[in-house]
Amino acid sequence: MSVFDIIITYREGLLAGLLVTLKLCLIIWASGILIGTLLGYFGAKYRGEIGSPSRVISFILSGVPILILLFWLHYPLQAILQISINPFFTAAFALSLLNIFGVADLVRSALVNFPTQYNLAAKVCGLSQKETFLKIEMPIITRQIMPSLLNLQVTMLQLTLFASLISVEEIFRVAQRINAIIYKPIEVYTALAIFFLIICLPLNGIALWLKNKYTRDISEN
Amino acid sequence: MLIGKKITKKYRGVEILKGIDIKVEPGKITSLIGPSGSGKTTLLRVLSMLELPDTGSIFLDSEKYNFPVQPNEIIPPWPRVSVVFQQLFLWPHLTLRQNILLPLKGVKDEQHINELIKILQMEEFINRYPNQVSLGQRQRVALARALALNPEYLLLDEITSALDVEQVNIILNHLQTLKDKGVGILIVTHLLNFAQRASDQIVFLDEGRIIEIGGKEILEKPKHERIQKFLSIVKAAT
Repeated sequence: MSVFDIIITYREGLLAGLLVTLKLCLIIWASGILIGTLLGYFGAKYRGEIGSPSRVISFILSGVPILILLFWLHYPLQAILQISINPFFTAAFALSLLNIFGVADLVRSALVNFPTQYNLAAKVCGLSQKETFLKIEMPIITRQIMPSLLNLQVTMLQLTLFASLISVEEIFRVAQRINAIIYKPIEVYTALAIFFLIICLPLNGIALWLKNKYTRDISEN
Repeated sequence: MLIGKKITKKYRGVEILKGIDIKVEPGKITSLIGPSGSGKTTLLRVLSMLELPDTGSIFLDSEKYNFPVQPNEIIPPWPRVSVVFQQLFLWPHLTLRQNILLPLKGVKDEQHINELIKILQMEEFINRYPNQVSLGQRQRVALARALALNPEYLLLDEITSALDVEQVNIILNHLQTLKDKGVGILIVTHLLNFAQRASDQIVFLDEGRIIEIGGKEILEKPKHERIQKFLSIVKAAT
C-alpha cells in the first residue's frame, strides 16, 4: 500500500483529523494574534500594571513543557474541579495560552524597543500622534515582528500534535489509528510529514523572505 | 525671530546649558561651533522645543514661553521650525521620495518637490530605500524632507558631515537662497570653512556657555583664548 493508496483509502478519516487540526489551529492563531497583540500593546503602554505581570506569566509558561501543561489541565485540574471538559477545548485553551503570551512578548518588545528617533522625525515634520502611529510605527513594527510571528504560528501548528495525547482526534491521532490497523508506519507517517511540509514550508519561506526583505531596512539606517 | 534667553538644561544632574542667549533671525544664517560635548546639539533641540529647557525663555515670533512650562502648554512649533538631525532618521519602510512626501499629507506642490530633487541632485536615487543609498545621499534627502515643508526656521545638526566638496557647495548655495527668502537658519557644524562661508553670525559654545559671538572675524581673529586653542587644534587636524 503506497502513501497515495493510504490517503485515498482513509481519506474520510484523514480529512476529519485534518479538519480538527485546522480548527484547533484557527482558534490558536486567531486568539493568539488578536488577544496577544492587544496584551502586547497594553503591556507596552502600561508597563507596570500589565507589562510586568504578562512577562512573568510568559516566563513561567516558557518553563513548563507543553505536554505537562496539557496533561495538568486535562487530568488533575479537571479532577480537582470535578468537571469534564472536551479535550479539544482543553488543547485549544492550553495552546492558545502559549500563543497569546508568545505574541504579546513579540509585540510588547517591538513597541518598547521601537527607535524613538523615527517618532522624533515625525514630530518635527508636523505629523500628529495618530498619523505617526498609523504611518510610521505600525508599518515598521509589523515588518519587524512578522517573521518571528509567522515562525511562532508554524511552531503552534506543530504543537497541535500534542493534543493527540489527551485524546483529541486530530490528524496525528488519526494517523496513529490508521497505522494500528494496517501497520505501515513508513507510508502513514510519510503522508503525515508531507501534509505538515505543505503547510509549514511556505510559511517558513515567507517568514524568511520577510526577514531578509524588511529587518535589514531598520538596522542599516 | 527665534530667541532663546538665559536657557539652562540639565541631564541627570549635569548642567549641559548654562544660561545661553541666542537669536535665530529671519534671513540670516547662524553657525554654532564648538568642541564635542559643548552642548551644541542640546541647544538645537531645546531651541526647537523638542526638549524643554529647565529655566529661561524662548520667543518664537509672537509666542513667548517662560520655563519651566508643561509640555501641553506649548503650541507645537513644527514644522514651522524644522530640524534636520545628525543621525537623519529617515523612515526605513518608505522610499526616499515617500520620506519627503509623507509629511506633506497629500498637499503636494509637485513643482517645489521636483525642484528640490533637482537642486539637491537626487533624481538618480530618489525611488530607492534609505538602506540602499550612501550617508551623503541620505543627508540630502533629510534636508529635502525639511525644506519641502517650507519652514520659517531651519535648524541643522552637522548635515554636511558625509558630503563631498561639490555637495557641500550645492547645500551652501541652497541655504543662501533660503536665507534670501527670509528663512532663519541655525547650523551646527564642525566645518569651519563651511561656517565661515555660510554664516552671518558665528556662535562659539564651550561647556554649555557662549564664549564668543560675532561675525566671520571670530574665526580669523578670535579674542578668546579658548577659541584660539580650538581653532589651532582644528587647523592642525585638517
